[in-house]
Amino acid sequence: MANSILIHNPRAPFSQGSGLKASVLDHLAGKVVGFIDNTKPNFNHLMDDLAVTLLEDYQVRSVIKRGKRVQSIPAPSAVVDELVAECDLVITGSGD
Amino acid sequence: MAVTVCSTAFEVLGRRQAASLGCAELPIVLVPHPFGSISRSALPKIAKEVAAQIANLMAEKNTSRASTVLVDHCEMLNVSSDVEIFHRLCIEQKLSDGLPVIPPTPERVQKMLAQSARKPEEVIARLAPAFGDATVARIATNAVMAGCTPQCLNVLIAAVEAIACPEFNLQGIQATTNPAAVWLVVNGPIASALGVNGGANCLGQGVSANVTIGRALRLIMQNIGGAFPGDMDRATHGQPGKISLCCAENESVSPWISLHVERGLSTETSSVTAVGFSGTLNMNIHSKNAHEILRSIADAMAHGPSNDYWCGGEPWIVISPEHAQILSEAGLSKNEVKQHLWEGSKMSASRMADKDLERTRRTRREELGEITAHTKLSISRSASDIGILVAGGEGTHSVYIPGFGNSRSVTRAVDAI
Repeated sequence: MANSILIHNPRAPFSQGSGLKASVLDHLAGKVVGFIDNTKPNFNHLMDDLAVTLLEDYQVRSVIKRGKRVQSIPAPSAVVDELVAECDLVITGSGD
Repeated sequence: MAVTVCSTAFEVLGRRQAASLGCAELPIVLVPHPFGSISRSALPKIAKEVAAQIANLMAEKNTSRASTVLVDHCEMLNVSSDVEIFHRLCIEQKLSDGLPVIPPTPERVQKMLAQSARKPEEVIARLAPAFGDATVARIATNAVMAGCTPQCLNVLIAAVEAIACPEFNLQGIQATTNPAAVWLVVNGPIASALGVNGGANCLGQGVSANVTIGRALRLIMQNIGGAFPGDMDRATHGQPGKISLCCAENESVSPWISLHVERGLSTETSSVTAVGFSGTLNMNIHSKNAHEILRSIADAMAHGPSNDYWCGGEPWIVISPEHAQILSEAGLSKNEVKQHLWEGSKMSASRMADKDLERTRRTRREELGEITAHTKLSISRSASDIGILVAGGEGTHSVYIPGFGNSRSVTRAVDAI
């Protein structure tokens, strides 16, 4: 039976909690919906189609479409600030 | 309220990333993967399904969702001293890169920490995508595991500072499907003091400092940054450079100013430069004519599926001492070499696939205006964005190192011991 030794843990503790509570709306009707296009292929089309569906079928008041230059960088802070100020719901994209 | 639309293959990344940012309850709705390959005519139906999923989220507002998972964390671990058992533990617990590591005992870590004036608990940076705290002690622990000598610690501290800079875009490099990795270049007196190889086979095996420094940074990115393959590291294939890539510049034979001097540091300052890159390509050019060499390199740089062309990137060339000498004797400065390569590597946009040309139009419109199939695309936004390093031994080879695309290299001075 080999002896045991003490070592430093190379791993950092990762945050797994919910410091931020995700807010959830009661309904979509009358709400302002924002989009951040992540520039991945087809997300722009999904954004357009989803906007139509939300306006026609779910009676959202208006949509605001914004984007970023490329998918692997954050949206500009001005875009984030605008959507936080103007929207009840913001929809973003992730993945291919 | 925020909702992320995520393709199924990226659900794990989306949920883990949200949890790492303290918002484990972020609503995620799923679309089929690969979403980008779905025909335009099929998208309206998917849009209706996404809308329904969003509406369902609201209907389920008051139902509880699994969210908070608290993970036990101990700064010290009790493990077997048997090397084979310890190796298996590291594999099972995903603490290593797959190769055996040296146990980071308190004695070994302390010996490493003695090389830095910084406090062990100092947080150098929070590393994406899990945003773990890279303390000096954790950097030293991973350096021990990788086999570094204690004298390497300050290079790694500077490297962690570099990769955490926003322009480096560590988040993108760690989580992408691309074979993105970090290449470290060491300049100044510390390169020779540590024995970092900038000569023959400098991008290969055989020299401990090169291999262990690069490996330590990978372990740091994995154990502290949280990017483990198949989990938050979404690389389709990866590449050998993800295990380790570190070299020095061959400053003594370079005809030009070295990389760290180009970036505003003195020749006597030690530095490390972190580069986000996608692979290496050998360019065997026997010509002794400077313009032929430049034309050959520029031709090799231009290829349709390149990440550098669609977003305006930062490609690198490791020029061999022989090629550098020929270029210098032809009267070319480093900046002039960059300018020639930038002009010579302009590529017709028609060489891109339609979907890639479409995203290039959106990505580079502000920079280049309207892009047609006939537009000559530059590989980077300016000639100065091309990186040049003189390194390697004898031979007629230079190396093209394509960039990740959405990343800019960062140089940081290394603390004096």
